[in-house]
Amino acid sequence: MEAGQRRSSTTAVALEALTKRFGRQRGIERVSLEVQAGEVLGFLGPNGAGKSTTIRLVVGLLLPTSGSVRVFGSDPRHDVSVRRRIGYLPGELALYPSLSGAELIGRVALMRGGVEPRRVDQLVERLRVELDRPIRALSKGNRQKVGLILAFMHQPDLLVLDEPSSGLDPLLQEEFEGLVRERVRDGATVFLSSHDLDEVDRVVDRVAIIRRGRLVGVDTLDQLRQRAPRLVEVRFAEPVDPTRILALPGVRALDANATELRLEVTGPLGELLQAVQPLGVADLTARPASLDAIFRSFYEDIPRGEEIHAY
Amino acid sequence: MRTDFARLDLRLRRRGSWAYSLGIGAYALLIVLLYPAFKHDTSLDQLMRGNPTMAALFGVSGSLTSPAGWLNANLYANIVPLFALLVTIGYGAAAVAGDNGDERLGLLAALPVSRHSLLAQKLLALGVLSLPVAVATLAADVVGRFYQLRPSWQGLVGVTAGVALTAMVFGCLALATGCLTNSRGTAIGVSSAVAAASYVISSLSGSVVWVHHLRLLSPLYWAVGQNQVENGLPMSSLIAFIATAAVLSGIAFWAFDRLDLR
Repeated sequence: MEAGQRRSSTTAVALEALTKRFGRQRGIERVSLEVQAGEVLGFLGPNGAGKSTTIRLVVGLLLPTSGSVRVFGSDPRHDVSVRRRIGYLPGELALYPSLSGAELIGRVALMRGGVEPRRVDQLVERLRVELDRPIRALSKGNRQKVGLILAFMHQPDLLVLDEPSSGLDPLLQEEFEGLVRERVRDGATVFLSSHDLDEVDRVVDRVAIIRRGRLVGVDTLDQLRQRAPRLVEVRFAEPVDPTRILALPGVRALDANATELRLEVTGPLGELLQAVQPLGVADLTARPASLDAIFRSFYEDIPRGEEIHAY
Repeated sequence: MRTDFARLDLRLRRRGSWAYSLGIGAYALLIVLLYPAFKHDTSLDQLMRGNPTMAALFGVSGSLTSPAGWLNANLYANIVPLFALLVTIGYGAAAVAGDNGDERLGLLAALPVSRHSLLAQKLLALGVLSLPVAVATLAADVVGRFYQLRPSWQGLVGVTAGVALTAMVFGCLALATGCLTNSRGTAIGVSSAVAAASYVISSLSGSVVWVHHLRLLSPLYWAVGQNQVENGLPMSSLIAFIATAAVLSGIAFWAFDRLDLR
């Protein structure tokens, strides 16, 4: 009981063996994940991996097939009060085309039981939203801004954002990131799905990667970078036999000939350096994997079993 | 009780409701204004007596030239319930299944409101949308009193209530079907098919023996099939409407609670 209480006081979102199937279609399988209060979690994965399904489970829109979802210790499907603390932006934002942004925001504010008008005004000003035109006349970016206001206007303790910066120009993307940082500074938690890896790099504390409905990695970006393979290019002064180098553990040849090697190296470089040094190295460069490459390695088909290393 | 979700749905259907109401109101007005020209036309009654089954198929029974018969044949036995059902079946199918298919319902359901309250407000909106067609027709009937068309008040109020309640019941059927199947098309299809069957049963119950035995299954029979324009709405019909709407609403609540929203 005490442990449960302790967890609920620091854990904003707890998913335990969460499974959702849609008839014969796969949704997500046994996803377990905790997001601590005040943390920004990037929830990443290729299209159709189960990101939006997980997000809808977190805000209580879907009935889990098995497992559980707790948000601030409560079930968001049944506890109306916990939903008061959530700000949600769906991935496929569909608004009411005949309403103006102002009318929609006003109505949703009433449905929330009232929102500080000053807060709405600030958001409108910062995001430069056109509120007077019918939503059907707005561009995708402007509709997205209305969605962001709906998610942020009540200063929620948990922001659940599915592709939040989709359609935003770079300046507004910056403004959005500023809004996220401000909410986090005030103690809010953010559960954010995004395909924009630069945004992820700038905003999140940890990432969780989902592929084919299963969680394949949860870690900080620094840890992922450390574990990711580096790209090493070696040029030799004279032609060499690279067989011994290519046989080293953690070394994979991307391109190899007698005078040049392009290698992907996982783990420490010491053994590789020792192996190439006697062969007369003319030049050597080692680059860390880009964020893009790191995520690609998770997104692409990898044999089962190798997934475990990501936890 | 909260009504903000109901008010949103009614706001979104404001133009459509006005259009249906004005359309049926104008049509009903034309019918009542034409009554004096046909009041003494005995050929209409002869036509009906010549082939009562065919006449029944078009919703005509009894005298066409009496005030009640005129209103029944030209308004209440067919076109008015049809208009009312178009509004409520359309809304019932869109309220949950349609909005969910358009990925709009999730945004509202994620707000601090219980699913029971959300659906209760959609039923409230459905109740409001059941009224305009019936009330617009009643308004035209009132004008008709100045044009020699004077059925009893009890009959007019009864048949107005009957039309509104039929619309509510079929709206509930569309809502419940939408909640069960999450498909707007299925909700419209099932409700329209049941409404069509209900119409045929109500129309032919006086002329075809085996259909007569099925009449109690038809909400249109409860509403307009027993010469309600003259006699008013029987208590048995009122009870049948309330019980059916309650059962269908119960199914809708049960299914909506389990429905995956987007």
